[in-house]
Amino acid sequence: MLETAALIGAAGDVLHWHAPVGRTVVSLPDSRALWETMWELRDQLVGVAHTHPGVGAPAPSGTDLTTFDACELGLGVRLRWWIATGDQLRCFVWRGPYSLDYERVPLLVEQPPWLDELRARSGFTPDGPGVAKSITENLTP
Amino acid sequence: MNNYRILPHEARVNVTWRGQNGDLLEPVPYDASDREIKEWVAEALAGDSVAGIRTRGRVDLQNFVVDRFPAGVNAPHNRIFLRPKTPFG
Repeated sequence: MLETAALIGAAGDVLHWHAPVGRTVVSLPDSRALWETMWELRDQLVGVAHTHPGVGAPAPSGTDLTTFDACELGLGVRLRWWIATGDQLRCFVWRGPYSLDYERVPLLVEQPPWLDELRARSGFTPDGPGVAKSITENLTP
Repeated sequence: MNNYRILPHEARVNVTWRGQNGDLLEPVPYDASDREIKEWVAEALAGDSVAGIRTRGRVDLQNFVVDRFPAGVNAPHNRIFLRPKTPFG
């Protein structure tokens, strides 16, 4: 499993898949190319989805939160930030009052059309046990 | 647009902020530290002195990245860009 991201458009479509060199089972590296794509697509962009390893309820990491805040400051708009694990999907938005106060919000669509492909591009296997197996494989030197 | 001539050891600084994009009026030393560049840009933004950018609300460049591009065939002078960081963990 390797973390993967997708830029999501207003119609719920994927505007751009992001699977850069240097991604790992637990991280996506900083990318000027991703920022330039977000900037170019800013009129259509409503949010960004990315994967976390394993199963269970996803929550944003400290790195995620500061990236959410920085990108919104750059774009001048608030976005929706989805995080998917092997079996769950959650969405977070800024609620304030502080800059990193992002909270979980209900999903507008329980099974967005991009979710299966996001998991597939991340290397999750369709059946649950394979999720843990793929993580182990990626951590093995 | 500005009239400052950019010397070989200097750079034009561009920043993207709250959906706007602009250049600092004055060039900066190309070898200035990231911290210095962020401080100068934050000061310029707070003072509404970046052409093309109207500032409102807080100016916080802590999670922005400084990208440097030397002069070359396609650029007559050094360029420095401030943009949001994009890693995920």
